[in-house]
Amino acid sequence: MAANAIDQTRRMLSLVTYLRERPGAHVSDVARAFGITEDELISDLDVLPLCGTSFRGGDLLDIDTDGDRIWWHNPAALSAEAAEPLRIAADEATALLVAARAVATLPGLRESDRLALLRATAKLEAAAGEVASASARLSVTFESEGGVFADVDRAISERRRLWIRYYSPSRDEVTEREIDPIRLVSVGHTYVEAWCRRSEARRTFRLDRVAEIRIMDEVSAPPEIELRDLSAGLVQPAAEDPEVVVEVGPGGRWVAEYYPHDSAEELADGGLRITLRTPDPSSLRRLALRLGRDGHIVAPAELADSARDAAREALAAYDGAA
Amino acid sequence: MAIAKAERLMNLALCLLGTRRPLSKRELRGSIEAYLEAGSDDSFNRMFERDKDDLRELGLVIETVENLDGEVGYLARRDSNRLPPVTLDAEEAAALGLAAKVWQQARLAGAASGALQKLRAAGMPEDVDPYEAHGALEPRIPVHEASFEPLMLACRDRRSVVFDYRKATAARPEQRHVEPWALECWRGHWYLAGWDRDRQAERVFRLSRITGKVRSRAGRFQAPVPDVVTVRETVASWAGETATRSARIRLRSGAGYPLRAKAGSVRELGDGWDELEIPYGHGLDAWLVEFGPDVVVLEPAELRADVMDRLRAVAKG
Repeated sequence: MAANAIDQTRRMLSLVTYLRERPGAHVSDVARAFGITEDELISDLDVLPLCGTSFRGGDLLDIDTDGDRIWWHNPAALSAEAAEPLRIAADEATALLVAARAVATLPGLRESDRLALLRATAKLEAAAGEVASASARLSVTFESEGGVFADVDRAISERRRLWIRYYSPSRDEVTEREIDPIRLVSVGHTYVEAWCRRSEARRTFRLDRVAEIRIMDEVSAPPEIELRDLSAGLVQPAAEDPEVVVEVGPGGRWVAEYYPHDSAEELADGGLRITLRTPDPSSLRRLALRLGRDGHIVAPAELADSARDAAREALAAYDGAA
Repeated sequence: MAIAKAERLMNLALCLLGTRRPLSKRELRGSIEAYLEAGSDDSFNRMFERDKDDLRELGLVIETVENLDGEVGYLARRDSNRLPPVTLDAEEAAALGLAAKVWQQARLAGAASGALQKLRAAGMPEDVDPYEAHGALEPRIPVHEASFEPLMLACRDRRSVVFDYRKATAARPEQRHVEPWALECWRGHWYLAGWDRDRQAERVFRLSRITGKVRSRAGRFQAPVPDVVTVRETVASWAGETATRSARIRLRSGAGYPLRAKAGSVRELGDGWDELEIPYGHGLDAWLVEFGPDVVVLEPAELRADVMDRLRAVAKG
């Protein structure tokens, strides 16, 4: 990724230090040590021979590779001093320290890993010196349900099936399922991605909606499935899902923050006309009820009707009791 | 073809790190091909100033020294740029490797990898693959808000900012002048805590409600920055998690699991309904309405009226 020249420069400075100590290093090993692809490393190695303390004479770094190993033919072009590891910058310290502190709060983290992380954090703070203090201006708390997390984590590492009672808010019901867990993902809330044996499909379960959990004796055998990139969010509606249109007033604008949507048009009264897609529109009846006078369902008509009917039925119970 | 920026930055860094005496701009221009090709003095000067800033951004301490002839020279002294000795074992290295992967924001992800690479160059062990060592755990910190990066930099540099902010229930955004203190991610959302200059009070802002650009302003902070900034407590009170009273409701058997999970007591009535006592905080009325005909509020009367009022609005269609 040559897109960011600062990141690449930072990496090349560390590479120079690293390669100086390791004549004949393997491309694959160096790429792994630096957490980059071999292609990224090769593009760095294309730039390095153009760098040095002067472009004249023999001052450029004579570094080359045959695609397998990396050779530096004139390490003396850079003094030992100039190739020493560089101090941690303020942004680097912040990025790594904030992440380390956040990960250390995950309840499911193994105790030995947590202790290692806390030791590493303390050493990093000491090495970074005063720039470490700015990292207090950023913080992250992962939310996860401790006991459930630990059971899922254990089931994954021991390859065991899980039995859960799971609450589905769209149907307001708790169902029993057997699932073969694949991985845990923390994106705000913590989820387990699993193969659901009941629906024979990939499903994502939010840990704080697991009402009960048990590790089974059966071996977990999820089919080989491609892991999705979840960075765009866990809810990724399909193009063929039915469309729902909701109009909200100013008091219902939060809907656009909570529901991934295709469009949100501004309305004259300060409200929004939100268009979203969901495989099961009836799951939005809760939303329609919640909105009250702050908004209403425009389409589909069946969803609007079902919310109105539910509200009337609910009111009838009050009339009876009053 | 123009010389790539990374190549130019790298050359400048090596020149400044490799010298024991300050190098003048003239000398640097003579040693770095990209500067020779820069054309006019003006464009070289602009390029040089930007490059110095970029190198400082990645942590290089560059000193500006004036020599006896009054000529300005630059160098990156070893003492101020050397990483102090740091010894990490394989377990600690693997733990940091996992942590460096959590950022989904480009700038922070780049900075975290940069820190790891510096430690690696300094001899941090690398035999443990962080994925192998940590099994199934894949924590990720989501950052979707465009306002995140400018606010992060403003918090870092203690610069005040101006942005348009739309409160949850407001029709129009309003301009706010804020001295930013800290950003915090809680329950997957980012919040900014700071001093609101217009209201002369401490405020918490949710980043997703910032509309348009965040612009920074020159000048010092007017209000003192507190030692401890509390974001979570403020947000929790918005979310009605600080209930002090309780309510009594009837709930259809089998329905409303989350209400049962929060209930202080559940009593079976035997007629297909249960009676629950639940905490009554801000926002409970809207939540109860979600359960439609499966919930009937018994008391307090005020909550009962609020719920009926909301139901009537929906029933009208």
